[in-house]
Amino acid sequence: MSRRLLAVLIAGAIAAAGGLAWSGWPPHSDYLPILICYEVIGSSYLVAGIAAWVRWPSSRLGLLFTIAGYLYLLPYILVNLANPVAFTIGNLGQGIYTAAVAHLGLAWPTGRLRSRFECGVVIAEYVTAVGFSAAAIVFWNPAFSGCDASCPANVLLAGDGSRSAGNAINTIGGFVGLVLTGIVLTLIVRHWRSARGWSRRAMVPLVWLAGAVGIEQIVTGGVLNLPLSSLVSFGLAPLVMLAGPVLFVISTVRARTAGGALGTAIVDLGQGASPARLREALARALGDSTLQLAFGRPDESGYLDTAGRAVDVDRPGPGRVVARIAGSDEAVLVYDEGLALEPQLVKLTAAAASMALEHARLQAEVQAQLEQVRASRTRIVEAGDAERRRLERDLHDGAQQRLVTLSLALGMARDRAAQADPELGSLIESASKEAREALTELRELARGIHPAVLTETGLTGAIQALAERSPVATTITAVPDGRFPAAIEATAYFVVSEALTNVAKHAMAGGAEVTIYQRPGRLVVEVSDDGAGGARPEGGSGLRGLADRVASVGGVLRMDSPPGCGTRLEADLPCP
Amino acid sequence: MLRVCPDASGRARCQTGSVQPAPAILIVDDHDGFRRFVRGLLEAAGFTVAEAATGAEATEAARTVRPGLVLLDIQLPDFDGFEVARRLAADPLGGPAPVVVLTSTREASDYGGRIAASPAAGFLPKDQLSGAALRRFLARAPA
Repeated sequence: MSRRLLAVLIAGAIAAAGGLAWSGWPPHSDYLPILICYEVIGSSYLVAGIAAWVRWPSSRLGLLFTIAGYLYLLPYILVNLANPVAFTIGNLGQGIYTAAVAHLGLAWPTGRLRSRFECGVVIAEYVTAVGFSAAAIVFWNPAFSGCDASCPANVLLAGDGSRSAGNAINTIGGFVGLVLTGIVLTLIVRHWRSARGWSRRAMVPLVWLAGAVGIEQIVTGGVLNLPLSSLVSFGLAPLVMLAGPVLFVISTVRARTAGGALGTAIVDLGQGASPARLREALARALGDSTLQLAFGRPDESGYLDTAGRAVDVDRPGPGRVVARIAGSDEAVLVYDEGLALEPQLVKLTAAAASMALEHARLQAEVQAQLEQVRASRTRIVEAGDAERRRLERDLHDGAQQRLVTLSLALGMARDRAAQADPELGSLIESASKEAREALTELRELARGIHPAVLTETGLTGAIQALAERSPVATTITAVPDGRFPAAIEATAYFVVSEALTNVAKHAMAGGAEVTIYQRPGRLVVEVSDDGAGGARPEGGSGLRGLADRVASVGGVLRMDSPPGCGTRLEADLPCP
Repeated sequence: MLRVCPDASGRARCQTGSVQPAPAILIVDDHDGFRRFVRGLLEAAGFTVAEAATGAEATEAARTVRPGLVLLDIQLPDFDGFEVARRLAADPLGGPAPVVVLTSTREASDYGGRIAASPAAGFLPKDQLSGAALRRFLARAPA
């Protein structure tokens, strides 16, 4: 909205409100409350008009509020001017504001009338208001209303006027007005019933307020001829006309609340929310249950919303509007057209959706990368295991085999030489001993690289072998039969091996206990001793390497080592 | 042929002069060098020797040679020694089943309970191989 228009509107509002006060001052003491009432109602429409113009520059609602405000205030100002023509026009125009208010109600919440019929109803409202006033004023002598000689003259008065003719016209006008009011109320209720989403919520306060205005019209319309004091009929009852500005305030508060709720909803949504949950959160925050979040299909054959329904983004259907979500060329919001009046709110919603989607995308990306890193770490460990297995096997097939043959040959040579040449025999014997020792050392080396028993028999035999070789008395409480993935078996083996080595080296323990058991999807390895305890998890590269090894297969290593109470090492490994 | 009597039981036989023809031994091992060496060792110890390089050859040779003892390497290129032992035990060919002795450059503990679970008569580490050791197995075997 341009600053010039804003200045004009503000100046006009001040002039109209000030004009009424100036023209009506000093009021007759009975009329002070009525004057205040007129001021409040009239200015509230003008203020609401300015605010609506600022908030909804694309809508006619600002204009409609402003027109209603002027149509309300101007006739009273004119009546107060001591000028016969102004007095007559003022009297003629009283009541025309009701047509503007009906117009506003029918055009709510977009500012547009919905059909030709409704245009006709609005025109009929204006015509009736002016027409019956014009007909009645011809017969209205201001003296009938208690005017004395100080009153300006009615320039349209025919002769001395006729009280009965004026009353008759007013009564007919009242009936026609009531019929029109009934039509307008019916249309408003129908708008409410057919509205969906944002618009339906926007219609709710209108239905209540329009009902109140309708009742006011019936009570004070003159058809029922109720015995009302002038304060009630001219001062208090018209306050119901504040319905218009109240409607504006309610809708403004609602938009503000929705804006705030959007922020909260996104925060509450948390991490990893699905698009369906995002849509729900946005719809709830906005109060538009029809809000759709749609995504382009990967094959570009159109859009699907989060419920899997096809969405035509070029023709989203009657009363629906499409907004693209920034930063994401394949996601759109589809919402009720009533919400289009609140471009800020739509922008905010799209930004919130964009942020949430971007967040979800980044999170998925990080997750995928993490999965890749995990998988590659597992693969590296598995490749390492395979390499060690190959190395052990190569040693077994190559050097070990040759040393065995050598050792046997030396044994034979010794036996043959012993009788003929004892000196040579003892020489060969010492060579044979060297060869046997080399073989033993090579076996130990090969076992350290990869235990053949693990490949051959799985955990059962391998843990048994470890327990037998351990210098500390080791009890095996349980080891599950059957084979597990090679990486899991190797990890479990190395946990027990490292733990028993540590027990022998540091724990000063009398005994150790090994327990391996299965839980659904897990293999748990426990090694405990009755030693000194007080081991630190971060101490020693062996334990750190073990923790890495356990983590590489997606497991967890825990150590519990209170001083004086032994040490317990537990590896919790995934096991499909 | 000169018979060497390397151990007590062998000596006993030599002394009584009632030397029976030593039973045939089937060496099953995929290492040619080792096989050749063991053949020399065992022939020197008075055994008749046949050779097989794979599990399949071993079962075939057992059928034709009908050895009294099979020295069976656990690590074979086709199926392993445990499987060969199982097949030999399951298919006694009508006659007495041969005494099967598993062997390896590894130690018995490297195979956990698998050796005990196999129908083989026992395990002899390769570096402790001798005619005497084999005779002990033969002597232990039920007639």
